[in-house]
Amino acid sequence: MTHAIEISNLRKVYSSAFGRRTITALDGIDIHVGAGEVFGLLGPNGAGKTTTVKILLGLTRATAGTASINGKRVSDPESRRQVGYLPEGHRFPGYLTARETLSIFGRMSGIDPATLKSRMFPLLERLGIAQWIDVKVKKFSKGMTQRLGLASALIHEPTVLLLDEPTDGVDPVGRREIRDLLREEAQKGRTILVNSHLLSEIELTCDRVAVLRHGKVAATGRIDELTRPSSYYKFAFTPMDESTLNALSAHGMSFERSNGHLLTSVRDLEQLNLLIDRLRESGASLSEVSPVRATLEDVFVDLVKAAGTGGDMETRP
Amino acid sequence: MRVLWANIEEVFREAAARWTLVAYFFLSSLFIFIFASAVNLDVVDGALAGAKLFGREVQMGRSSVDLDKMVLGFESGFSAFLYLVGTFLAIFATAHLVPRLQEKGTIDLYLSRPIGRTFLLLSRYISGLLLAAANLVYLIGAIWLVVIWKTGVVHVRFPVGALIILFTIAVLLAFAFLVGVITSSTAVSIMTTYGLFFLSAILVNHERIEAAIASEWRARTIHWLYLIFPKTADMGQAVIALVSGGEAPARLSDSLTLAPFATTAAFGLGCLILASLLFQRKEF
Repeated sequence: MTHAIEISNLRKVYSSAFGRRTITALDGIDIHVGAGEVFGLLGPNGAGKTTTVKILLGLTRATAGTASINGKRVSDPESRRQVGYLPEGHRFPGYLTARETLSIFGRMSGIDPATLKSRMFPLLERLGIAQWIDVKVKKFSKGMTQRLGLASALIHEPTVLLLDEPTDGVDPVGRREIRDLLREEAQKGRTILVNSHLLSEIELTCDRVAVLRHGKVAATGRIDELTRPSSYYKFAFTPMDESTLNALSAHGMSFERSNGHLLTSVRDLEQLNLLIDRLRESGASLSEVSPVRATLEDVFVDLVKAAGTGGDMETRP
Repeated sequence: MRVLWANIEEVFREAAARWTLVAYFFLSSLFIFIFASAVNLDVVDGALAGAKLFGREVQMGRSSVDLDKMVLGFESGFSAFLYLVGTFLAIFATAHLVPRLQEKGTIDLYLSRPIGRTFLLLSRYISGLLLAAANLVYLIGAIWLVVIWKTGVVHVRFPVGALIILFTIAVLLAFAFLVGVITSSTAVSIMTTYGLFFLSAILVNHERIEAAIASEWRARTIHWLYLIFPKTADMGQAVIALVSGGEAPARLSDSLTLAPFATTAAFGLGCLILASLLFQRKEF
């Protein structure tokens, strides 16, 4: 598989003046993102997410290891010709209009003025801010500025998009629109790396994720693998009365009730079927039996809590 | 080239949006307007027979004044004034270019483009210099045209003097960029550059200072500082000498030699190279 983004054994140590204090921001991480993949970078504050993105963009240098984009080392400015970047807390010059912003930063990405002119309006229209094209950025709301940031990242039609908190400050409808846009861009073959602390956004947008913790990759894999069904099952049946529940308890089964459902943990399929038999024997009518999936948030919280216990997850594809 | 033009456009748009620059152009225009409307000269056979300043007669004495000499005197004096004011205003209007570029949330927008850091810094430098040149050309060019209109005397040396002013601005701007890269502070960039200007101007008397200092190593330090620092006083004298032509006193004409220009250029170049190296290595 061709990797659009390759990070190998990347290490970054920040030193204070005269090297008296050092902080290891990245401690030998390996991340490979395939072409056309939507990849999420997760982690608590200080885990090394921003440092990783900064190294990919040449904003900071790695202490050891290598990073490349489309096969080009990130130390080469040419590696960024095919990169669109949306930084967190970006500050486009307030005295420029949206049109001027895209024109100036588009040309800095190497696009000729004629191409820029033809791309500008449709792109802003797609992002829902075309009517503001000649309004100064200082008059934009946070959500509008974020959409302009996305337009600036997309204007030169890059093959790789690096997005830092892309839905930051955007309302729920706008978030969905941005998610849809990212999906469309991925379908066009663009590789997207999303750095976000909004786990629900990542879960809805990304194919694969890497969870960073203390500068290391604590877990990496497909979201459906990380959140694979646990031994927990959810039951819905009627009547869910005391006599039925007592009958189950009598067979040594522990359970909890939640929102009209019965949640219980089973050892294996045999025990699951036994439970169903007992329920039917007690006269219950089953309407739902479904495995309970862990959310990405569950996985994330478990990983962060497992800090220092050596409980890292590895589900590499 | 596309990147350079994009940078220049951005710097000029920012300049247009900043009130300091609007104020500068407004004041320049006001000065030009007052100068053009206040001075009325009565020229007879190439000599000044009478003059009115703000509508009042100026006492000329019995004999008529040589108009060419009078214009030369005015242009020399005005170029000295412009050297000081033009340089200070140019630094004030452009010293923010690097500190603002390095702000969090801004630098990412530039460095995430396929642009080398040195090229980015030099693009900003050229943009700043063009901005300073635009201000200078406007003021000097307009005054020159007004003088020609009022007197009919054409001294090409007067606008050419602007080149020395621009050269000094280029050197001081390189220093301001170096300080900007190191400190990321506009205020510190402006203050240290103004400080350098005055310190260098004082050092033009280095021989007298050295003679007055008892300690040999201190005297040697002063001497080296004079050699290293830009020759801001010499440049000012060179502007007057150039504009005055053969009429300038010998001590001013001595500044129009290669040595002060070469050492001043070397200082500016050194600052620019050092700024580029530090900017190249800087982590954001």
